Formats: sequence, C-alpha cells, structure tokens
Amino acid sequence: MTRAAAGDRAAFGVLVERYAGVARRVARAVLGNPEDADDAAQDAMLSALVKLDQYDPRRPFGPWLLRIVSNAATDRRRRRTVRRVEPLDPGLAAGGPRPDTAAEQRALGERLRQALAELPERRRVAVVLFDVEGYSHAEIAAVLGIPEGTVRSEVFHARRRLRALLVDWKEEA
Amino acid sequence: MKEPMPFDHRPDTALGDALRRALDPGDAAPFVARVLARASEVRVASWDAVLARWARAGVAAAVFVALAAGYLVGRATAAPAARPSVYDALMAPPAHPGEVEIVLASVIGN
Repeated sequence: MTRAAAGDRAAFGVLVERYAGVARRVARAVLGNPEDADDAAQDAMLSALVKLDQYDPRRPFGPWLLRIVSNAATDRRRRRTVRRVEPLDPGLAAGGPRPDTAAEQRALGERLRQALAELPERRRVAVVLFDVEGYSHAEIAAVLGIPEGTVRSEVFHARRRLRALLVDWKEEA
Repeated sequence: MKEPMPFDHRPDTALGDALRRALDPGDAAPFVARVLARASEVRVASWDAVLARWARAGVAAAVFVALAAGYLVGRATAAPAARPSVYDALMAPPAHPGEVEIVLASVIGN
C-alpha cells in the first residue's frame, strides 16, 4: 500500500487487478450502464491512489476503496444526463416466453439487472456487497456510512425482491 | 428457495452467483490497463510524506502512553506528604521571623 502511494506503478497495478472486479460490479449495481460503471470505477481507483496517504492501514482496504467507488458511482449518476428510468419489461417481469438455453443466462441477467435498477441505490449496493462480494454487515455499514442494522434491513428487502424473481424463473424452468 | 430471514447473516450463494453473472463486467485486462495509463498522470505523495503521515499517529500514541506511564509511576512511588492541621499551622513559628519583627517595628514606630 505504501509503495503504491509512493508512486510504485507495479504495486498500484496489483491493487487495481485485485479490486477491479468488485469495484466494477459495485459501480454497475449503482449505474446500470457498464460503460458508465467502468468510468466510475476508474475515477474511483485514481481517486483512491491520490488519497492513499489518508488510508488508515489498521483498517481493511476493501471497504475503504469501495466507499470511494460507491461515492464515485453515485456522483456520476447524479451528474449524467437524466435518463428516464425504464420500468421492468412486463414480459420479463411476468416471465414471458422461455428463451432457448443459449440465451437463458443472458435473459436472467437482464431481468436481474432491471430488478436491481428498481431498488433504491443503497439497497442495490448492500445486496451486491453482501451476497456477491461476501462483505460483512459491519464492513458494508462502513462502505455506505449507515448503521449495521440498516444494512441488514436493506439486504433483507433487496433479497426478498430478487429471490422472488429467481423463484419465478426456476418455476418457469 | 426459502423466505429470507431478517437477520440472516449468511450470503445467499444462489442469488449471489446469479447477480455476479448479471453484473459481470467482462475482461479485466483492458480496464486495468486503462486505469494504469491514467495513473501515470496522477501525482502522488512521496515515500517520506506517506510514511510520515502513517507514523504520526504512532508517535502521538507513544507519547501519550509514555506520559500516562510516567504519571502513574510517579504517583505510585511518591510518598504521601502529611498535611499539617490547622492548629499546627497557627502554632508554627514564622518562616521568616526577621521580616515579622521589621513589620512590627515599623508599625510601632508609626
């Protein structure tokens, strides 16, 4: 970390490689659009590089970085041209015709992304950090700057919505 | 799939896997290369500055511990001084009797 902060390009490269996946997924959970998400994740990585001297090495690095990522994604979402929120496609929401196996995962992914987009932003990030990235409630609380109990509530509500979608999907299968 | 419990502290692997696939950003290599290319333009703090900042908290903590330890050790080793009673204070001879006499003489003289 010290080497990265002091300008060691290789050390910073290791950090970027290690956290690129989670940073891009969290940004995408906030922004939806993958290109915007990558831009936000990149901004966050560079911002973290500049702020590395402010990082407290006694604390875990992941939550510290993801807080910057989450804030960068939120800022970008606020700045970008206001786009109309596209409601969940009724055909997708109701299941619709079953796609062929080749397209099945893509369609499920699309349904999940649309369902995620309908959740409040904080709820999206909480469920992704908990169920996808495996962070604890306490760590997510540090990332989002909210109480741990609120994180539990956000994860609970997000799961209820997303699990219902997955159940429908499996029943259709 | 079970209804989630409000305080379920375990990640839901089925949901997590599905979300991971849905949010999969694709190949990381181009992203990493792009970030590193931009990073070379970013000015960062020097080694000394970084280490000095991180060391500052440690030095402050060490000073605090040393002061606290000194206070506690000094307090434990110092013999408690006997406090004189009011009677002793009144009956004790003056510390500087000569000064008292000079004052009395000047008062009497006036």
